[in-house]
Amino acid sequence: MSEAALEIKALDKNFGGLHAVNKVSFTVPHGSLTAVIGPNGAGKTTVFNLVTGLYRPDSGDARFYGQSLLDRSPVEVAASGLIRTFQSARIYPGMTALENVLAGAHLHFRASAFSQMLWLGSARREERALTRRAEALLELVGLASFRDVAATELPMGGQKLLEVVRALMAQPRLLLLDEPAAGLNDAETAELAELLRAIRDAGISVVVVEHNMSLVMGVADQVIVLDAGSVVASGSPREIQQDQRVIAAYVGQAEPGAA
Amino acid sequence: MIQAIQIVIGGVLQGAVFALLALGFSLVYRVTGVINLAQGGFCVFGALLMYTLQVSWGLPIPLALAGALAGTALGGVILGYTTFGPALTRLSVSSILVMTAGLLTLIQGVLLIGWSSQPYALPPISGEAPIAIFGVRIPTQGFWIVAAAVVIILGLWFLLARTRLGLALRACAENRLAARLMGIDVPRMTLFSFTLAAVIAGLGGIAVAPITSLEFDTGGFFTNFGFISVAVGGLGAFAGSVFGGLVLGVSEQLAAGYVSSLFANGLALALLLVMLLWRPNGLFTAGPARRQDVRDEQRIHRAIVRLEGRGGAIFAVLAAVFILVLPFILPGAGILNSLVITGILFIAVLGLDVLMGYAGQVSLGHAGFMAIGGYTAAILATTYHWPPLAGVAAGIVLSLVCAFALSLVTTRLRGHFLALATLAFGLMIDSLTVGLTDVTGGPSGLVGIPSFSVGPYVFGSSMEMYYLVAVLIFVLVAMLHGGLRSGFGRALKAVRTDQTAAAALGVNVPRYKLAAVCLSAALASLSGSLYAFYFHFLSPEMVGAPRSFEMIAMLVAGGEATLVGPLLGVALLTLIPTVFQPFALYKTFAEGLLLVLCFLWLPEGMFGSAAVWLARITMRRKVDGRARTVVP
Repeated sequence: MSEAALEIKALDKNFGGLHAVNKVSFTVPHGSLTAVIGPNGAGKTTVFNLVTGLYRPDSGDARFYGQSLLDRSPVEVAASGLIRTFQSARIYPGMTALENVLAGAHLHFRASAFSQMLWLGSARREERALTRRAEALLELVGLASFRDVAATELPMGGQKLLEVVRALMAQPRLLLLDEPAAGLNDAETAELAELLRAIRDAGISVVVVEHNMSLVMGVADQVIVLDAGSVVASGSPREIQQDQRVIAAYVGQAEPGAA
Repeated sequence: MIQAIQIVIGGVLQGAVFALLALGFSLVYRVTGVINLAQGGFCVFGALLMYTLQVSWGLPIPLALAGALAGTALGGVILGYTTFGPALTRLSVSSILVMTAGLLTLIQGVLLIGWSSQPYALPPISGEAPIAIFGVRIPTQGFWIVAAAVVIILGLWFLLARTRLGLALRACAENRLAARLMGIDVPRMTLFSFTLAAVIAGLGGIAVAPITSLEFDTGGFFTNFGFISVAVGGLGAFAGSVFGGLVLGVSEQLAAGYVSSLFANGLALALLLVMLLWRPNGLFTAGPARRQDVRDEQRIHRAIVRLEGRGGAIFAVLAAVFILVLPFILPGAGILNSLVITGILFIAVLGLDVLMGYAGQVSLGHAGFMAIGGYTAAILATTYHWPPLAGVAAGIVLSLVCAFALSLVTTRLRGHFLALATLAFGLMIDSLTVGLTDVTGGPSGLVGIPSFSVGPYVFGSSMEMYYLVAVLIFVLVAMLHGGLRSGFGRALKAVRTDQTAAAALGVNVPRYKLAAVCLSAALASLSGSLYAFYFHFLSPEMVGAPRSFEMIAMLVAGGEATLVGPLLGVALLTLIPTVFQPFALYKTFAEGLLLVLCFLWLPEGMFGSAAVWLARITMRRKVDGRARTVVP
């Protein structure tokens, strides 16, 4: 865990008068599962949007395996191996579950549009290979029976998992998941926790923005706590659970020593 | 000098009508967030009603005016209640835009049936003799036009600023949901604004009818120029709408006066494209900005139409066999002729399907590419004696160049602005084909185009053309099917549904939009060339702006994003008028009706709905259950 997958240095962003992200710095070690927690409006998703090129920061830097991500477009960020999901499951409507997962492989699809149109053997072989991988991933998260169902007809939990699987199809080096457990019931959350561990064990670094404490505390190697745009604490789940500032941020001002 | 003043006055009068239309656009846009392209139709509807009441029935002017406005209002209420209102709740913004284009066609169809295709002009209210002021001659009707515009503008201002009803309308404009929470009947406000805009347009039409001649399809002209006015002035900005109308009217008249009336439209459109590049939101900004992503929203969910695997293969073989034997089981040669036209148009609609159905990019000017392909091939073949195949290739190259140039403008535009830019493109090509008389033969068309030939082989008969087009379609459908069911198609669909999520997965959104535009432009160009070679004749109206709307109607009726489905739509709208000659008069009406009905009640189109129904039957046993456990 020596090399940093993602290094965020003094990232700063103002929206009008709102200081959404205030000098945020943290490091995601290679191969780790980092959780970013914090109350609503703490700036968690904004950090994601800054890192993935949707917004431009006012100052600061974000480095992905040593390379600066600033001034890169979302497409370039994705092409470098950093793939994100969205807070509201942004699966593609009008496509089946399988097509959605296959769409995740866009960056790795080698056959040209022209060779696809001519039904060339190479393009068809590639398509078949990708389809097998996509089917395996659907099987893995228990969505195999929804293969040919319109993705929008999946239950919320299924859509969330589908989005994670679609991101995996892109073979990321670092996966940013924005509230993957939102809208999931307890059983689905437990399944998600196992999936997250499996992703990390497969060598993919993961950053999760999450509200669900039991999920975070169960799977994270490292927890970063944001409040009102600033990092208020970071450390192992155990350290965070005992941190006064975190308790203050979450349940309001606690009496000293009363926790 | 006097001539210049004369021209400017003419422009102001013209512009006053554009301003009224633009006000209607802004009113509906502010209250509902969508653009109603049917506006110009109401303009002509009001004027023709007035003609019937005043001239044919001989009613006194005030009575005729009241009757015409009441009739227009009734038309507005009926269309608003049955189509526009329901569409707002279930269609995406750009689909509603296209549906209102269908409404415009529908109104034109009604006018064609009711008043046939001759031009009408109302008698001027206060006589023919113009007034001369310092040598400048002003038609007295001009005062009535300006008076009508001023009364409407002041009335609208009073309504919005000073009345409770206006307050409710403004509340809808600010935030529809909040307005509903406050107990405002938003659907009724929508209907009211739609109808009020129709009446304003009708009054504009009545005022301008004495100094211009109106036909059933003049509404398209009014819609286009009202739309351009509002885009120049600022969508939703009332002062901007009036200003935009006047600017457009004056600049158009100046262009007509000093350059050529045939280029007047082209120059107005060039003005618009410059505006779109320079200030896409218009000169005046209005209210809160609305999200205008092209179909990039939740209401676009369509059922997924697929005939995959063995079923699809069987269907394809059966369809191919049917197409190949069809000429031998036909009753008459007239139908074969229509089938060739069907096939040629289908090639263009195939491209439109890639662009609109798969990539989700609205194009209201697609016939422009048909014109480029048709005229390029035809001119090269007649004047320069190029072989047809080389002419077709040259047309495609030129279309690709134009598509690329258009893309430079449109990749940055979304929703209404994209639709507007493509509309402007189509109209610009349209006005060039009319205006470049020396090259294109102008409005009377280009004659003496040879038959299509490859080397020494000439496709002279309908039968030969039929098989040429059929084979071409087989090849194109097979190629497009190969690409669209694979990575290319998935990337296009990702762009259609969610551009942000697509980019986050590495899809280069502008590049795929460009690919779709170029592909569709090339196919439209090919279709246009074949069209010219088949008819041995090409005139602007064969590939003009109404053709663009007709192609959209064909696409939507057949089924967007189904590739082969639109063939049904093309066949329906091409064959029915041929097979049932008496129905030719009803073609425009049927086109509009079909488009509106399909948008509202058959969103997957005829082919799509049939395929979904079939798939549901066969899939029922395959799909069961729910998500099971995760991870071994």
